[in-house]
Amino acid sequence: MFRLSLKMTLARKGRLFLTSLAIILGTGFLAGTYIFSDTLNSTFDRLFSDVFKDVDAYVRSSSFVEAEFGGEQRGSAPISALETVLSVPGVKDAAPDVQGYARIIGKDGKPIGADNGPPTFGGIASASVAGLWNIEDGRLPVGPTEMVMDKATAKASKFVLGDTVRINAQSGSREFAMVGIVNYGDVSSPGGATFALFDQPTASEFLLKPGFVDAFLVQGDGTVSDEQLTSAINAALSPADKLETITGAQITQETQDQIGAVLSFLTLFLTAFSFIALGIGCFVIYNVFSITTAQRLKENALMRAIGANKRQVVVAMMVEALIIGLLGSALGFLSGIGLSRGLSAMLNAFGIELPTTGLTIQTNRIVLTMIVGTVITILSAILPALRAGRVPPLAALRDTALENVGSVKRRVTIGVVAMLLGAGAITATAAGATNVLLGIGVLLVFAGVLIIGPGIAKPVALSLGRPIEKLRGVTGAMARQNAARNPKRTARTAAPVLIGVALVTAMTVFAASVRSEVRTTIGDQFQGDYIVSSANRQFGGLAPSLALELAAIPGVAQATGLGFTSVNLDGSGKFVIIIDPATASGLITFNMVQGDQSKLSANGILVSDTRALAKGWTIGSTIDVAMVDGTQKTVTVEGTFASSGFGGSYVVSRALFEGTLNNLFDTNIYIRLTSGANNDQVYDALAAASTDKGLGTLQSRDEFIDAESGQINQILGLIYGLLGLSIIIAIVGIVITLLLSVFERKREIGLLRAIGMTRSQVRTTVRWESVITSMFGAIVGVVLGVVMGFVLILILADSGASAFSLPIAATIWILVLSFIVGVLAAVYPARRATKVDIMQSIATT
Amino acid sequence: MNNSSASFPPPVASTDSPAARATNVSKIYGHDDSEVRALDDVTIQFEKGHFSAIMGPSGSGKSTLMHCMAGLDSLTKGSVSINGIDLGGLSDKALTQLRREQIGFIFQAFNLIPTLNAKENIVLPLSLGGLKGDASWIEKVIDAIGLRDRLEHRPSELSGGQQQRVAVARALASEPAIIFADEPTGNLDSKTGGEVLGFMRRAVTDLSQTIVMVTHDAVAASYADRIVFLKDGKIAGEMFEPTPDRVLDYLKHLGE
Repeated sequence: MFRLSLKMTLARKGRLFLTSLAIILGTGFLAGTYIFSDTLNSTFDRLFSDVFKDVDAYVRSSSFVEAEFGGEQRGSAPISALETVLSVPGVKDAAPDVQGYARIIGKDGKPIGADNGPPTFGGIASASVAGLWNIEDGRLPVGPTEMVMDKATAKASKFVLGDTVRINAQSGSREFAMVGIVNYGDVSSPGGATFALFDQPTASEFLLKPGFVDAFLVQGDGTVSDEQLTSAINAALSPADKLETITGAQITQETQDQIGAVLSFLTLFLTAFSFIALGIGCFVIYNVFSITTAQRLKENALMRAIGANKRQVVVAMMVEALIIGLLGSALGFLSGIGLSRGLSAMLNAFGIELPTTGLTIQTNRIVLTMIVGTVITILSAILPALRAGRVPPLAALRDTALENVGSVKRRVTIGVVAMLLGAGAITATAAGATNVLLGIGVLLVFAGVLIIGPGIAKPVALSLGRPIEKLRGVTGAMARQNAARNPKRTARTAAPVLIGVALVTAMTVFAASVRSEVRTTIGDQFQGDYIVSSANRQFGGLAPSLALELAAIPGVAQATGLGFTSVNLDGSGKFVIIIDPATASGLITFNMVQGDQSKLSANGILVSDTRALAKGWTIGSTIDVAMVDGTQKTVTVEGTFASSGFGGSYVVSRALFEGTLNNLFDTNIYIRLTSGANNDQVYDALAAASTDKGLGTLQSRDEFIDAESGQINQILGLIYGLLGLSIIIAIVGIVITLLLSVFERKREIGLLRAIGMTRSQVRTTVRWESVITSMFGAIVGVVLGVVMGFVLILILADSGASAFSLPIAATIWILVLSFIVGVLAAVYPARRATKVDIMQSIATT
Repeated sequence: MNNSSASFPPPVASTDSPAARATNVSKIYGHDDSEVRALDDVTIQFEKGHFSAIMGPSGSGKSTLMHCMAGLDSLTKGSVSINGIDLGGLSDKALTQLRREQIGFIFQAFNLIPTLNAKENIVLPLSLGGLKGDASWIEKVIDAIGLRDRLEHRPSELSGGQQQRVAVARALASEPAIIFADEPTGNLDSKTGGEVLGFMRRAVTDLSQTIVMVTHDAVAASYADRIVFLKDGKIAGEMFEPTPDRVLDYLKHLGE
């Protein structure tokens, strides 16, 4: 029986391939995600193994702050401790290290590197063998006006020895003479980052604080083990310096783990989308098996008549599914190799630049992909296979495969019940229940829609087809009837389109609402005329001195900086907004509930009302704060403000950090002009002090609000791209269904050709049937998507009022694209339909 | 996609040309050793206003001859003309238009489009050409088949005989130069078959139509004015004003 099924499956190569295509694409995406993230992980692992290859011990500050979204910020080490480290027996040499922010300005006056790309580092170049850098050309920098650059950056930006290079860092924007080009061990530039290096005093003063570095890299003389060396250094360090020592292996591991945590989030994100694609692939396979079961009614009935039992018929189908699953996932894994490149390119295009070298393919990923693909295929085939087994030996001999829809009323009832249950679960989530319930709710709503689908497919297809019939006459009428003649099939074919469109619409609606929310928030908070902003959110930004410089420009009435940092607040790492209360008035406005923003003192804090409520803080409450350098302070709640979705929860004064070693950057500088100032003149002066030096972006208030709210489009674009593959699978589903329908209607098409239907009319009929099917999915999908988007906003809205806005233009675009999808999907099946041999199909025997 | 006839040169039809003519037609399948001559140098013509039948044993080439003359199958040698129009060299599009306008078809089974009702099936060749047709003629045809009360029904709601009557009406609707019928009663019982044949006969006698019918049934063939006998791809003989008995006798003689 097994061999027979195998033979029968392989006899239909075309269909085998088409059915496999859905699984190939789904598993291809999954494999692509695996390969991409494995390659990324191993690239970074190798990178950091290289970086710390010669480091035996690593000395750093023992105080740190966990950042709210992963990672940590660590305090600094006094340079004076270097002597102590060098004096420890077993230490061959030690080099101070700084990993600061330094943006090199290119010869064209623009900063080098992407804003959200690989980091732009500033550091120390020293002669020590423990240092990370080797001079390739020129010499080491000496004194406050010299620097060296890594080879790859120098090459890419065409800097040569002797050039003057402008660099922006925490202490401002300065010019240096480039005296050397360095290599990082053996590699020219790790991970696409840029490096500007100075001697230690310059690096400390320009990038950090005079007299401080980030760490000491220690090389042993080989007489003791790394562990012994580490504990010896630890014992020698002065407790007052708050330093700790770990081995080279530990710092390598720690760095790799930190990157790994960030990458695993990305992997999870991509995996979610690949499972959406696989789910849609499932639907396509289920549909194909259902159609072929119906079409093979006679064949299965014959098998039963000549003595095959029910089980054998079912097994035959399952064998086919097994072959398709194995073949599809094997080919899927191969295509995943190509797709991993595509993913990398797509992330790059959306500003997430990640270095990948080589290709990491793990055997267990191959196995996993094969298992997932095969199991999913077999599961999708179970129902149709069981149905095939129920075929009576003397099944009615019919020319066309009709599948009974069953009771429409029962279907709609069950569907509506499922949707209501789903809606209930979602409402419960909105009211505060767990997110698991949300997932169940969304699945139930989808299930409800899909159950109702076949019940409403006929009337919907008929009404969608009405204008086509008007437009196209008899060919349109036939397309309309064909789309409606097998409602179950039409509904199942439209389902992948429905799911894809619903997700796209939900994301679009959600993004539009977030956009308008961002507009309102920023519009309310920022009241000035111009803004200088830095896109570097996590690492570096604008030197705090810039706000003062800009304020001094004639025609500028007021300029104030706003920055972010992480501190340990009430026991855990928190993002805090830093403002200058004196200059912020009227430019940065928090919607105060209690207290006065302009009276925020050096040791005060403003807390959002929701957070204050949750923590039980009131005016006068005190909160313990620990900074990155270990400084402990107690701040007093001096006001509460209405929380907004995107504004942060804590606001402190810059004065709080006075005298600490916390690196401070401004993210934005808000500017108000004096009334009657010459706008153009002041703009030019502002530009000269900022953008002309490669510092931030200078925008008017409107431009800034547009740009900020537009950032959501980037994420939206990425999500569209990732959903793209699911849409392609949906198209493949339509193509397969149409092909099977064309195959099934061969005689009908042959007859039509005989009595005078031209080839182009045959094509028209198939095309419009396809369009009706895809539009059926798209329209239901849009409705579902709008509702889902609305629910998403309700649930994610952080108590602050969220504006629901329906993006009408985008919705129309989605429908237009679905129309095009229908037309495209029909191209090949329509061509096949025109090739139907009239003679063969009408031949009477 | 409504192809207006304006995009083609109007078919050159003359009143004195026969409805269909095959000249030295050969149809050969396969090559060399496995060569099969389905038609071997056949020359025949069918006059307007006649009901003709083509008979012959299985494999005699009767269906092949019909398909070739109807422009459904290509020729190996020779030429075919319908109403004076030579089919050789016509593009697929022109051939399709010719079938739509000059030829009517009745097949043994599966004659109707299941998604269209009886009326829509009847006018289908006209609709495909974007034409309305002669309304009074169509009314006449509908009356003749006697299915006026079933026009809104889908084929699945009609009996086999009714379906074949709708198929005959469809073949007549565009007033074609010739109607080809391929075993039109093959799937019907003798009573229903008789009704359909009677209707075809009246279409020729009363409505001046031209029908060529392939059949192996002597009774069916006896409805025709003339029978052409085929054997081994060649014309084996002719008979005018046949009766079932004479046909059976002839077939017996032909089989020897």
